[in-house]
Amino acid sequence: MVFIVGPSGSGKSTFLRCLNRLEDPTEGHIIFNNVDLMDKKTDINKHRQKMGMVFQHFNLFPHMTILKNMTLAPMKLQKKSQEEAESYAFELLERVGLRDRAEAYPNQLSGGQKQRIAIVRALCMRPEVMLFDEPTSALDPEMVGEVLSVMRELAQEHMTMVVVTHEMAFAREVADRILFMADGRIVEEHGPKEFFEHPESERLKSFLSKVL
Amino acid sequence: MWETFKEKFYESFIVEDRWKYITNGLRTTLIVTFAAVILGIILGFIVAMVRSTHDKTGKLKLSNVLCTIYLTVIRGTPVVVQLLIINFIVFASVRINTIYVAILAFGINSGAYVAEIIRGGIMSIDQGQFEAGRSLGFNYLQTLRYIILPQTIKNVLPSLANEFIVLLKETSVAGYIALQDLTKAGDIIRSRTFDAYFSLISVALIYLVMVMGFSYLVKLLERRLQKSER
Repeated sequence: MVFIVGPSGSGKSTFLRCLNRLEDPTEGHIIFNNVDLMDKKTDINKHRQKMGMVFQHFNLFPHMTILKNMTLAPMKLQKKSQEEAESYAFELLERVGLRDRAEAYPNQLSGGQKQRIAIVRALCMRPEVMLFDEPTSALDPEMVGEVLSVMRELAQEHMTMVVVTHEMAFAREVADRILFMADGRIVEEHGPKEFFEHPESERLKSFLSKVL
Repeated sequence: MWETFKEKFYESFIVEDRWKYITNGLRTTLIVTFAAVILGIILGFIVAMVRSTHDKTGKLKLSNVLCTIYLTVIRGTPVVVQLLIINFIVFASVRINTIYVAILAFGINSGAYVAEIIRGGIMSIDQGQFEAGRSLGFNYLQTLRYIILPQTIKNVLPSLANEFIVLLKETSVAGYIALQDLTKAGDIIRSRTFDAYFSLISVALIYLVMVMGFSYLVKLLERRLQKSER
């Protein structure tokens, strides 16, 4: 589980969005499953199916029920049958405690519920990596916990995750590695203990003194 | 007073079965309007797809230029002039029923306005919806089809219905190419009876009633769409 932290405007989100090429990097390589995603011959859509993404503003599809939100991509892209897609969707809904909301529409849900749905919608594609772009930044404080606990569970199942966040305590608790970005560059990279206890650069020291 | 009214009514509509001008004209007006709206929606949809794909992805450069020229020319010239050009220049040496000329002219004209309505609808959908679709692995067209267009159609349906109402009135200039639509029918009766009041006011009332009827339906439609939004 990799965390990316840093002051706003430092390029964290842009970096994350480059990983599945929602943003096009100007140069460099992105190696995923031994394939270079920057290669022109690579079918990026194919690989995106294996890279789940969760956004700050949820981006659920408002014209579809929760269940449809979750089964659309598996049915259209992975050619799953409706029963197959739905039974897996229900299984995931069960895990995040929202099974009874399957037939609801997104704007009938609270922010925390929407974000949990956004996570399981991505999981429906059985991704190999999950990208989180400030998943709790748009939430009311009392709803942050429910989203983090879903992510914590995923971590326990050893899902590979790349997370952009401002939740330092959470990063310290579950991260394997933490990258510190400033001014569009990765300034430092450590394990969580190292990161918080022995920061090297002045940038990171002053950042930590402000957020902790 | 009542006697003159009856007499005028008789003169305008009963003598020589003149009411047939009105009913035939009305039928022509409705046929032209419906057919032109359908043609306009098809054209407008294609143009909107090209334009918004270009705006979002930077592809289709040449098609986008062509579409932009189409929009500029059609929206920058009067519909009567377009009608005359299509009738007397494009179909100058071809024998063709003027009703088809009118449908084509009004359809091409309407398409330009419909294109901008639909494009506006697509561009008004949150960029996050595109990104969510793409991040799941849908390509651009699949994202449009499953995620963007269903939301767009709901948003633009009332505007499209209004476009129909606008077109219903606009077809009244079809008389320029000697098509006997509702307006022309009233004008013919006027020239036969030498009484402008009865024929023209009747025609105006028929338009007004139709427009009010369709406006009411649009309002119902809007209310239903709002309800389903919750």
